[in-house]
Amino acid sequence: MMELVPHIINGLTLGLLFALIALGFTLIVGVMEVINLAHGSLFALGAYFGLATIGGDWFGSTGLGAWWLSLPIGMRYVSAIIIGPLLAAGAGMIIEICLRPTYGKVPLYGLLLTFGAALVVEEVIRLVWGTGEQNLTVPQAINGAFLMGGLIFSKYKFFAAGFAMVAIGAVWFFLERTPYGAIIKAGSHDSEMVRALGYDLSKLRLLVFGFGASIAGLAGIILSPIWGLRPHVGLDVVIPAFLIIVIGGVGSFWGAVLAALLVGMSVGITGAYAPAWSMMSMYLLLIAVVGVRSRGLLGHKSALEN
Amino acid sequence: MISLSDVSARGGSPMTPAMGLFALLLLTAPFWLEPIGLYQYLGIEIAIWILFALGFNLLFGYIGLHSFGHGAYLGIGAYAFGLFQQEVAVSLWGGLAVAILAATIAGAIVGGFVSHRRGIYFALMTIAFGQVFWFAAIKLHSITGGEDGLLGIPRPDLVLGPFEFDISKNGTLYWFVAIILLISILALWRLVNAPFGRVLQAIRQNETRARFIGYNVWLIKWLTFTVSAAFAGLAGGLFAMAQESAYPDVMSLHQSGLIVMMVLVGGGLVSFWGPVLGVLLYFIARDIIGGFTETWLLWFGLMFMIMVMVRPEGLSGLIHVVRQRFAQAPQNSITPADTPEGA
Amino acid sequence: MSKSNLTRRALLGSAAVAGGLSAFAGPWKHNRVWAQATDKPIKIGITSDASGQYANSGASDRRGMMMAIAEANDRGGVLGRKIETMHIDTETTPATGSRVAERLIAREECGFLIGAVSSGVANAISQVAQRNGVIYFNTNSSSPTESGKNCHRVKFVWDGNGTNFAKAAIRNSMSSYGEKVLLLTNDYVWGHDTARATRALVDQYGGEVVDEILVPQGTRDFSAALLKIQQINPDVVAAAIGGDDQIALRQQVAQLGIGSKPAWVNNQQDWPDVYGLPMDNLFGVFGTTWYYGLDLPGVKEFVARYQAMYSDTSMRVPGNVFYNGYMATRELLNAIERADSTNNIAIIKQLEGHMMSAEDRMQHHAAQIDPNTHQVQQSIYLATANDEPRDENDMFKILTQSDPKDVRDEGSLEACKLESYEDTPTFDA
Repeated sequence: MMELVPHIINGLTLGLLFALIALGFTLIVGVMEVINLAHGSLFALGAYFGLATIGGDWFGSTGLGAWWLSLPIGMRYVSAIIIGPLLAAGAGMIIEICLRPTYGKVPLYGLLLTFGAALVVEEVIRLVWGTGEQNLTVPQAINGAFLMGGLIFSKYKFFAAGFAMVAIGAVWFFLERTPYGAIIKAGSHDSEMVRALGYDLSKLRLLVFGFGASIAGLAGIILSPIWGLRPHVGLDVVIPAFLIIVIGGVGSFWGAVLAALLVGMSVGITGAYAPAWSMMSMYLLLIAVVGVRSRGLLGHKSALEN
Repeated sequence: MISLSDVSARGGSPMTPAMGLFALLLLTAPFWLEPIGLYQYLGIEIAIWILFALGFNLLFGYIGLHSFGHGAYLGIGAYAFGLFQQEVAVSLWGGLAVAILAATIAGAIVGGFVSHRRGIYFALMTIAFGQVFWFAAIKLHSITGGEDGLLGIPRPDLVLGPFEFDISKNGTLYWFVAIILLISILALWRLVNAPFGRVLQAIRQNETRARFIGYNVWLIKWLTFTVSAAFAGLAGGLFAMAQESAYPDVMSLHQSGLIVMMVLVGGGLVSFWGPVLGVLLYFIARDIIGGFTETWLLWFGLMFMIMVMVRPEGLSGLIHVVRQRFAQAPQNSITPADTPEGA
Repeated sequence: MSKSNLTRRALLGSAAVAGGLSAFAGPWKHNRVWAQATDKPIKIGITSDASGQYANSGASDRRGMMMAIAEANDRGGVLGRKIETMHIDTETTPATGSRVAERLIAREECGFLIGAVSSGVANAISQVAQRNGVIYFNTNSSSPTESGKNCHRVKFVWDGNGTNFAKAAIRNSMSSYGEKVLLLTNDYVWGHDTARATRALVDQYGGEVVDEILVPQGTRDFSAALLKIQQINPDVVAAAIGGDDQIALRQQVAQLGIGSKPAWVNNQQDWPDVYGLPMDNLFGVFGTTWYYGLDLPGVKEFVARYQAMYSDTSMRVPGNVFYNGYMATRELLNAIERADSTNNIAIIKQLEGHMMSAEDRMQHHAAQIDPNTHQVQQSIYLATANDEPRDENDMFKILTQSDPKDVRDEGSLEACKLESYEDTPTFDA
């Protein structure tokens, strides 16, 4: 039994990371009713922008670049965590502007447009940063390992899980406790009314998409030191995000978090006892949940079904 | 905005000008493919994907269920065909029958899970199930050969009564695929122009109303999903023959997305012939652009985005608009678009 | 193109012997006329991946081929004919590989195909190549099935395979680190083949396989497996993890700092996958077929030629993938010269059993193209991260070199059944 404990801890941290991946995705699906297939590409883009920030690529080989590289890595890392998601948000907003002609038509068009955007973003990354593997350096303070119960754990993994927890809390706070959140949620329920009350709906959508994209980009920066960074890294992200949304229930914030933790636990624990099945366990979980509750764990009837 | 429902009911005679043109192009292709710089194998592959796309459009365009995991049934058909040749008997008809059967069963099971879903929820579910099949194909490597694929699938002889034809070469395989495609197209044409086809469109437009009129909507959705999977299975069996192997990649989300892309770009939502145009455009553009640049997906992706933004009805929609604008001019369009007069 | 294949089987039977060769000559008839004119270029189709998982290695592979071809063209071509190339992206997707091969053969009239990193793509291409009798060089796919179960008369395999690398590594690491071996295996064909070879070797040298952890393809989080490895505490971990999975594993092992205890044996480490990454990402020992820091005659000049030709490439020195692409292409052109013909069967016969001297290969031992499996039997090196690098490129420290006969893959010899010459369509490129 004691052998199981580290695996449960590991499964929980993994689940938090999955939640971070799914967060931006569920926000956009829930509020905008768009399945953003470019989610993975925005994830990758955020990480690449972060990489460029840490490496000082923006300055080229000027004196400014040399000065930037002489700054401590911790400072550059923190600025990457800020700049990367901001730029990813910018890319997300461009996608949202492209999406505008599709509003009010079949929701499928949004999905298709983002599929096209995913192809384009991946190719652009290839052109700009090359096809090879890149390495995102993290500060020494959160790198390395520590001992717990005679076993070695990765510090960075726990940092990332903690960061995910903070991010989840912040998004929840924003949605539930700020007026902006209330407007966003209202926008997803009754867009006519929101417009009638004098809010600019198109600005609202732009912000929501940018917000979702920035969380995707943030997840990219946080996760790429664990998963590696390559142009097609986005593919690794879209699938778990999908599964988590379906298991949790489309548009449900806590459903997604709960589903992510469940997926993390099932991958973590099967990883210890039947590792060959660890990936399959996600899919089995999906079939089990959807077989019993067709709208997912916390899903409720939504406009998306029309 | 125009939609498939604007296609006038022709009472079912498939002998339309578009059908004639299509058959003509299909049956003369071997004589002009090479002179215009293409090659026989591309012809086979295009014919197979047209079959797949048309079957898919039954679900996608006609009943309006947006499946994003349809590559799975193509893959299942391909594996079933290959496994039948290798484990049971080398037989063309047997293999194709098993390919259709396997895809039909898989489609029926998944259809049972997803047919009461609508909209984005349906798309999400089909993606998830597509992933399950894709993952299983890689995981069950003792059966499927894993990521190496199922190799060495033969192209069995075509047996028709006392006659046996060798279709192992690309040139002859093309004829076989073309004839299967032609028969399937006639069947699909009859299906969508029969009352059944109109029920499909009624469900797409207003499911609740269709239910009140007395149709068993769930059953019809399930049936359509299954039939569509069956066509994918047939295409998959042919694909296994063309490639002489079956690979898990065709079942991935990426490939399932591509078929949606092709059908939409061609205008599957507004025309029976939309998927045909889309497949032609995709394969030919890719073959030509792909020969010049490695970043062809960038250009294709951009083209696709613009298409969705400005003309989501696709090529067929575009042709329709152009034809309306020149309604007075003599109709000399060579494109097999079957859009209505005066929608 | 003959359209008259709708013949009854009975007729076919009697015509089969006579028609066996001529039936297939169909698409090649016009080629044969051209081939007589010596000014017609020799066309080589390049089938390397430019997108997908192996895009990066594919680019390196292609640079190797292009350098060999450029050198041959500078010398005036082969048989007095210029060499032309056509490259189409195979997208790391087998179905695309089939179509690209069909197009290169049928439309571009390429007489030879070169290039592969992914074994799925290589298999797809080799089936098309065999059906058309077109010689295909698999430069960089290292699955043992390539020269085993899926071998073909027209296909030649230029990389060392999983079994070769396991043979070179296992005995060495068991004697240095201990006999309790844990297998960490990617749950797919290459992983299983390699793990099987490793297991047999561990038994042979008197060690013990304490456990095998199967990791599904596509795994990005190895923490569960790494925890389990710590709980079991083996002496040696023999890992057969490939592609992107390996990159994730590397980063996570580096973060935990458990790269030296237990001792890790990684099957093979492709240069483009590690170039430019921090040194602590390279852990344990791993196999390679070539390293630019080998102290052998010709290596320096080779590196200089690379740097002159690819002055703006971010990878400043050639690696094993480039090397395989270069060597394979050069040997193909040499074989055409030796055969004094572009007849495919004549060239195949020149390649089969061909010996290549150690100097020519810039390796420690002579190499041979095995006539029965068509795999190049070559020197295999064991390397580890370099703790005293001369410069930022100098990432590997070569530990040992193995003679080809000591690391020979006997399993593929049993599994490989080459098609007969008669069953391979013949033509002149």
